Amino acid sequence: MAAQTIHDVVIIGSGAGGGMAANTLTKLGVKCLMLEAGPMADLDKDRALVNVYDLPYRGFGKPGRFPHVTQASEFDANLWADEKQNPYTYAAEEPYYWVRIRMVGGKTMRWGRASWRLSDLEFACKDHDGFGENWPVRLEDLAPYYDRVEPMFRVSGRNEGLKQLPDGKLILDDSADSLSVQRFVGSCKQLGVPTTKPRRATGTLASSTNLLLPTAIESGNLQLITNAVVREITADPQTGRANGVHFIDRRSGRDYHVKARTIVLSASTLESTRLLLNSPSLAVNSSGVLGRYLFDQFYVKNTVQAIVPEARGGRGERNLMGGGGYIARFRNVDRREKNFIRGYTYDFGSGGTPSARVLPLYGDALFKELEELRNTAFGMTTMGEVLSRYENHASIDKTVKDAWGIPALHISQKYGENEHAMAKDAMEMGEAMCKGAGFEVIAKHAQMVPPGESIHELGTCRMGSDPKKSVLNGYNQSHEVKNLFVVDGSAFVSGGAQNPTLTLMALSMRASEYLAERLKKGEL
Amino acid sequence: MKRRRLLQSFVAMPAAAAAAQSTASQDATPRIAIASTEAGASGLVRFFTKTQFEALVKLAGLIAPSSSSHPSASQAGAPEFLDFLVSQSPEPIQSLYRQGLDRLGREGVTEAGLAPLNQAWTYAGPSDRFAQFLQRAKTDILQATINSREWAESLGRGRRGSSPTGYYWRSLD
Repeated sequence: MAAQTIHDVVIIGSGAGGGMAANTLTKLGVKCLMLEAGPMADLDKDRALVNVYDLPYRGFGKPGRFPHVTQASEFDANLWADEKQNPYTYAAEEPYYWVRIRMVGGKTMRWGRASWRLSDLEFACKDHDGFGENWPVRLEDLAPYYDRVEPMFRVSGRNEGLKQLPDGKLILDDSADSLSVQRFVGSCKQLGVPTTKPRRATGTLASSTNLLLPTAIESGNLQLITNAVVREITADPQTGRANGVHFIDRRSGRDYHVKARTIVLSASTLESTRLLLNSPSLAVNSSGVLGRYLFDQFYVKNTVQAIVPEARGGRGERNLMGGGGYIARFRNVDRREKNFIRGYTYDFGSGGTPSARVLPLYGDALFKELEELRNTAFGMTTMGEVLSRYENHASIDKTVKDAWGIPALHISQKYGENEHAMAKDAMEMGEAMCKGAGFEVIAKHAQMVPPGESIHELGTCRMGSDPKKSVLNGYNQSHEVKNLFVVDGSAFVSGGAQNPTLTLMALSMRASEYLAERLKKGEL
Repeated sequence: MKRRRLLQSFVAMPAAAAAAQSTASQDATPRIAIASTEAGASGLVRFFTKTQFEALVKLAGLIAPSSSSHPSASQAGAPEFLDFLVSQSPEPIQSLYRQGLDRLGREGVTEAGLAPLNQAWTYAGPSDRFAQFLQRAKTDILQATINSREWAESLGRGRRGSSPTGYYWRSLD
């Protein structure tokens, strides 16, 4: 048998966290091997422009193919991880929507690119309102990394100097607001609600695949193996240190093993925790919190749908409609208010036509009204903080295995009173904002999507200063197995309502620099 | 010019010799246009009963009639398509459709019968099962119509609308 190479760093996963780890480590001269469970897509060969009427299901998609991936369309169905090959379980009364992509780039191949910083309202959340745990880092620790990640992703937006939404290194978006957005912003101001421009990585892809991995590969320090479904991290029985990874070739089913000095795990929040739970020789859970404190961010899609009356029948001024923005958290920032803790944010957008679904019409009357309402719509979607609670958890379901024989996850997450109270407040406030702008509200609701559906799942392998209450330290490093780092969303302690990817990448960059330094000093 | 001369030389050849030759290169990889299935064939109704399907056609006629600028649901083949879609759908949707269409078959498809579609929208949807059926059928009939080839072709006739084209991801291996 050929002598097996011992890799300095094995990175599991090629998405936002793994991609940033590879990018950072290889720049520092560290040799890495990356294992990705899925294939590499060729954007020229694997995509083609197709008419919706030429799809076999006329754009409806194959019924029942993705019971939990509401984001999947018939156009992009082949992009999402197959639910039959990758099963998971939940109690019938607690549906959990686990949305996965298995390919190089991970979910950055499909993310919305919204890129907000967390603030010390999140990092020191316990100090602020007494609930949960503080992070082992503060904004000042992470700010230098945010400062570097934002330019890499060319994040555009506008700094507002808000303590709950820290300023960033942005490409300034000083575009003029449409008249409807100006009216809405004015209404928010009256209500004491801060608004800003969307803050988003520019470009249509802005993924790990095109922004993080190419430089790593070009450095000559990264080897990327695709179709490597990792089933277990192994540990040395003498020292307890992680020493390698077992994986299965996705297509052939053949078993492989790689040896590693250090492991960077970034398989996505729940997959990383599943892998740790499936690695019996790896002692990372003396705290007992591995798999615990699962949370995400709840979405109320189209909380409020409104019409800008002056735009009816195409009669509005030319710059009346279009554009959008973001409402930063405004609840419980400077004082305790309402019957809930923490807060929520909104995306809002002007333009487009309301969905036929919400109009109580059919036939000619419906078509006439749709024509009349063309480009009159104003919509708001709520994103709210979900509290990190012990009882929401993921564990191994020993009765179910995936297509490669790896035990599947059982997921248990429920939204509680705090989330419900917040969603109701968001609906009422959203309606007040629209009415204040003179818009006609045609539909509103406070129904949160099921847990998981926002694709912002976080926690289950959280960081912390106290090894009795956390799995990882302030550098995403296992308290117990020092040569294991976990750099995806599972490390989050709390999440605020800001989209998590930017923070996850800043944490991964910081952890990777720490790792490289320790590796060079021979401390790992 | 070379190609033209070549073609002329074929014309000048005796018929038997020309038949043995092909103008295509032996080594070229051709791009052969493929007709879309629905452009040349009609889907059969296999799932709904005759009475159910007749009710669906009438319902579709009320929900999405034609106008000078767009085709009707029936012209777009929406009822036939929905017969196929529902046949592939989970059982709860199949029975929702069957029971709803049975009721329409018994009571007739009238404006009065479709009154639940004039009720204000709620996120949770109506509690009445027949109203649930009508809401679902309305959305499905509209989407099947708007996503049809016939509808797309009507867009070319001076009517504004969104492009029915998108990036299709092939199966990744």
